[in-house]
Amino acid sequence: MQKHRTRVVATALLAVALAALGLAAVAQAKLTGNYTKFAQCPYTNTEVRKCVYSVTESGEVVLGNKVVPITKQVTLQGGFGEATEEKEGAEFAKFYAATNGITLSKAPQNVPGGLLGIVPDASSPFLVKALIKFFLENSLTGVNSTLELAKPASEIRVSENNLAGEIGTAMQLPVMVHLENPFLGKNCYVGSTGNPIIWKMSTGETNPPPPNTKITGSSGEIEFLEEGRILLAKNNKLVDNAWAAPTATGCGGILSFLVTPIINAQLGSTTAGHNTAILKGTLNVASALAVNKNNKENP
Amino acid sequence: MRTKQTAIGAALAALAVLCAMFATTASAAPAWKFEAKALEGTEVILGGALDSSLTVPGLTTKCENFLYKLTIKNEAGTGKGEVTEVPLYNCTTNSSACAVKSIVAEKLPWPSKLTTVSTTPYIIIEGVKVPILYSGEECVLGGVLVTVTGSAGGSIDNAKETATFNSTTLTATGTSLKALGQKIEWNGLFPTEAFQWHREQALSVS
Repeated sequence: MQKHRTRVVATALLAVALAALGLAAVAQAKLTGNYTKFAQCPYTNTEVRKCVYSVTESGEVVLGNKVVPITKQVTLQGGFGEATEEKEGAEFAKFYAATNGITLSKAPQNVPGGLLGIVPDASSPFLVKALIKFFLENSLTGVNSTLELAKPASEIRVSENNLAGEIGTAMQLPVMVHLENPFLGKNCYVGSTGNPIIWKMSTGETNPPPPNTKITGSSGEIEFLEEGRILLAKNNKLVDNAWAAPTATGCGGILSFLVTPIINAQLGSTTAGHNTAILKGTLNVASALAVNKNNKENP
Repeated sequence: MRTKQTAIGAALAALAVLCAMFATTASAAPAWKFEAKALEGTEVILGGALDSSLTVPGLTTKCENFLYKLTIKNEAGTGKGEVTEVPLYNCTTNSSACAVKSIVAEKLPWPSKLTTVSTTPYIIIEGVKVPILYSGEECVLGGVLVTVTGSAGGSIDNAKETATFNSTTLTATGTSLKALGQKIEWNGLFPTEAFQWHREQALSVS
């Protein structure tokens, strides 16, 4: 009796283990060929119509007086649904976060001029000057600027028609810029979850307030793969130079009350017309149903 | 006296150069002709493309019925016209995933004019606008409106009475059609046959 019960328990445990393994296998993407880029797209969600995998390879972010070239790749991935929200004369679709949680990859970009470029030694109070001296002596002068999503991915909006037609806003992104250096502390941001920078990226022409002037984006060189199931746009260029940015906050740790105003003075005016975002790279878009089909076809 | 002769000679030479220039201009702007006589008044050309397709790399859209109505006339010796109707039916793609939900010619009439490039007569159609709405759940363009815009130049074959549009004729005439922010390929062979006052008369351009 005891032996029989033990065998039943063992069989049940084995079945559970196999089921768990099976589930793990189902959850794991088995995408092939051109579809592998969309592994983090929530394509099993029936509300998701298209999958996106966009890699920004170059470009720049101008924030007031500071120009930060993009030298490290930034990836935006996830999916978007049917375009149902109407605004600015176009229909926008809601974005769905990447399944691994990394919708916008965090790629620290080097800020030219480093620490002294944003906290100049000469014009700083004694305490700040002393601290900067310490950081300079310890070669901790590099400053990075990292772009982060300021809101959940569901706050991103996409207009495929504007993207294709090179007009208006193609993608609306709520972002914030994280300035990183040990001296600046962990909470030095321009923009926040409560007061984000809103980028209205366009493949067409911008219409910024002065002193900025019109700049033009491009949908790039388009090619269709997998018989029209995937769109590949090389040399894609998304631009916006009409956005406003709030002032920096939380810079310098406990000396924030001293350091943050210095940084804001260095950035200068960040009102609309003083900032620019140019994102150049490769855009991949796929039908979510086609991605899901590819996954099922390759167990 | 010799100075006066030289001046008259120079003036005559200048006049000859001017005449030659005008002659070149005239030959660069051909006229519509029926039975070798320049068209007076207007005429209507109706027809259907024998073969026509639009291609963005990887996706070709074809229409079985690509009809057109072109009103032509000569203005100051130069052939002009207007494309007034372009009904497009039974359009498909070369993709198993994408279908054409709708395709309509917009902003008609499209003005047209004749020109000559290296002795070949061409017709140039301007102001082309054709929005195409694709469908298909697996099609990446499903639900996306792709608008073809621009101008297109096609070579006229007087012997065959056809106009041919392709990448060579578009390049020769300095015209281009754009969609999705880039130049697209358009191939088309159109008969040029009169359907009003000059039925069954030989149409030529020179």
